Amino acid sequence: MAAETPAPGATAGEPPRSPALEELADFQRKLAASYASLRDAAGVEYGCSDKEVVHRAGKLVLYRYKPLAPSANLPPVLIVYALVNRPYMMDLQPDRSVIRRLLELGLDLYLIDWGYPDGADRYTDLNDYINGQLHDCLSVVLREHRVASTTLLGVCQGGTFSLCYAALHPQRVRNLITMVTPVDFQTPDNLLSRWAQSIDVDALVAAHGIIPAEVLNAAYVSMMPFRLLQQKYVNLVDSAGDRAAAENFMRMEKWIFDGPGQAGAAFGEFVRWFFQENRLLRGTLSIGGRPVDLRAITQPVLNIYGKQDHIVPPAASTALEGRLGTQDYMALGLDLGHIGMYVSSRAQRELPQAIAYWLQRR
Amino acid sequence: MAGETPLGDWSASLQKAQADLMRQWLDMNAAWARATSPLGGPAAAAAGGGAPGGATGGATGAAGTAGLSGAGAGSAPGAGPAGPFAGIDGGDVARRFLAQCEQYLGVSRSLWDLVGRSAAAPDAEQRGKLFTDGLGLLQQQFAGLWAATPFGAPAAQANPMAAFGMPAFNMPWAVPGGMPGAMPGNPFAQAAGFGAMPGGFPGFSSSAFAGLFNQPALGPAREQQQAWQQLSQVAARCGQAQLAVVNHWNDIIGKSLRELGERLGPRLKSGATPGSLKEIYDLWVDSAEGVYAQVARNAGFVQAQAELTNALSAMRAAQRELVEEWARQFDLPTRAELNSILQQLRELQAALKR
Repeated sequence: MAAETPAPGATAGEPPRSPALEELADFQRKLAASYASLRDAAGVEYGCSDKEVVHRAGKLVLYRYKPLAPSANLPPVLIVYALVNRPYMMDLQPDRSVIRRLLELGLDLYLIDWGYPDGADRYTDLNDYINGQLHDCLSVVLREHRVASTTLLGVCQGGTFSLCYAALHPQRVRNLITMVTPVDFQTPDNLLSRWAQSIDVDALVAAHGIIPAEVLNAAYVSMMPFRLLQQKYVNLVDSAGDRAAAENFMRMEKWIFDGPGQAGAAFGEFVRWFFQENRLLRGTLSIGGRPVDLRAITQPVLNIYGKQDHIVPPAASTALEGRLGTQDYMALGLDLGHIGMYVSSRAQRELPQAIAYWLQRR
Repeated sequence: MAGETPLGDWSASLQKAQADLMRQWLDMNAAWARATSPLGGPAAAAAGGGAPGGATGGATGAAGTAGLSGAGAGSAPGAGPAGPFAGIDGGDVARRFLAQCEQYLGVSRSLWDLVGRSAAAPDAEQRGKLFTDGLGLLQQQFAGLWAATPFGAPAAQANPMAAFGMPAFNMPWAVPGGMPGAMPGNPFAQAAGFGAMPGGFPGFSSSAFAGLFNQPALGPAREQQQAWQQLSQVAARCGQAQLAVVNHWNDIIGKSLRELGERLGPRLKSGATPGSLKEIYDLWVDSAEGVYAQVARNAGFVQAQAELTNALSAMRAAQRELVEEWARQFDLPTRAELNSILQQLRELQAALKR
């Protein structure tokens, strides 16, 4: 290997600089610019679509989004988000908002924000969430529209809740859409499930009461620790000075780390019943003393999953096929990851249209 | 940059450039602290971890800083950020960003130096051997960076640059509200509450209580003594569990370095070298993630993670029992009493609904 030549632009009399030193100097410049961009983006706003509160119960808030287009004359859609993380991921910013795209297609949208549980919520269990809070929110929607049933759109864990609810109260659900929803919690590629199998969840819940969000965050980022804890920050340097990129990054970062803690009782039941015992798939699940039988779901079901999802692997979602009572089942796999399902440009293009198209034909 | 050799004074130049970068980092941190503190001024800058005077000057100092701040750093994010967006703001992101960029520089530099030294050998086989042997020597350095220390506080929290011979500064994660953690030894161990437990417990010192722990619990204070003995046993269990996880992480790092060697070795033998620091770094990350994806699924790793999590749960429960006993002696309310009231409320609500 020959000695390196002086970097382009070096003037006479200056010591020659290697490309690596040039790279380092460039990194230094970009680092300063990136840092400034991050600082400017510190107060970035998120959640872009107008909405109003239509129901409150404790820490829960039910929102109705204001229309952005003439009505498509479809049944209202109640979005059931997961307990982990905040639901504004569905409406992050104008160009990254599945909710906004759905509104532009004339859908009438409601969204459950479960809120931040505190020490007083440690005994809130899955029955409270599914047969209590979700049930009450749906009652508000049905009452508002004077209909007997409507569409549920469950996202991630919220999709699992929606499946349970639809099985328990089929007469109140007209259509069911599940997004990146785990059904089989023990597929071989499910890393979270592997980790969960030997956890003494009772001891964990007893130790904390409310499971801190940091515990869940740590588990998620530990699925790809070198990328998610370091490389993504290093890569940010490449977008030095790009304010929009810094704001996008900051919004995502906020969403990743501002998640709520988990009510201990519900968390314990979810880990034990779903991850450790796979009861939903095995047909042995009961919520509030009533069996959850997926075959009781006879309404149309659209199951959307990410082919690159590392949190809810595709097989965990597609396991739904053949286990329902309905003949009107459709699976839609998009070549996206878990987060990409909410914010990627492809999701913005394809997902809302697919949902609207499917609903229009039901 | 195939066919090029780093300059002879490369290391010195790089060190100088990194020192410049660190100064810039300190300046930025100080500026950030001034900008975000309602007080402003030098005190705020120091609180932000950015004042050059806050540098502790060496790995020992860094360890001391981390030791002192362990409870605070662990408890700040986990002590109860119940409100919206607690634990995350622009400062957190910026600090995390800078901290990881520092690690990137350290990792890249080590790998780059090794590539440079190996590439300078005239013989292809010798180049490959130098590189492979050099990667083996990096094992300890990298493991120190990524593997967790006991009780879930990653070594990287102490001073990410110490492994690369860089001085310790008053890093932002050494102050309450700082960076929650770098590479995890256990996803649950470093999380809220867990990481803070041993150091955060008032008056806890295994050496100070060693005699007490070893004696039979007899007499009027037997219950308290037994509670402390149980805590001691659980602490030992935590230490063993942490050690098991650290061993797995050492294994991951070792395998990752070997994987990197397999990816880069043939290129070096043919006389080609990576084109940039970033390219080497990205190769390292790809190698490490590939290895981690395999190891993280292994029964041994899963079991070690679970045992650490379970041990930490037991530790927390034992600590709380002691604290509650202390509170009861002063007729102060306890979590157990609150829980009892909450249970009664739920029963009342259920009765009302019926």
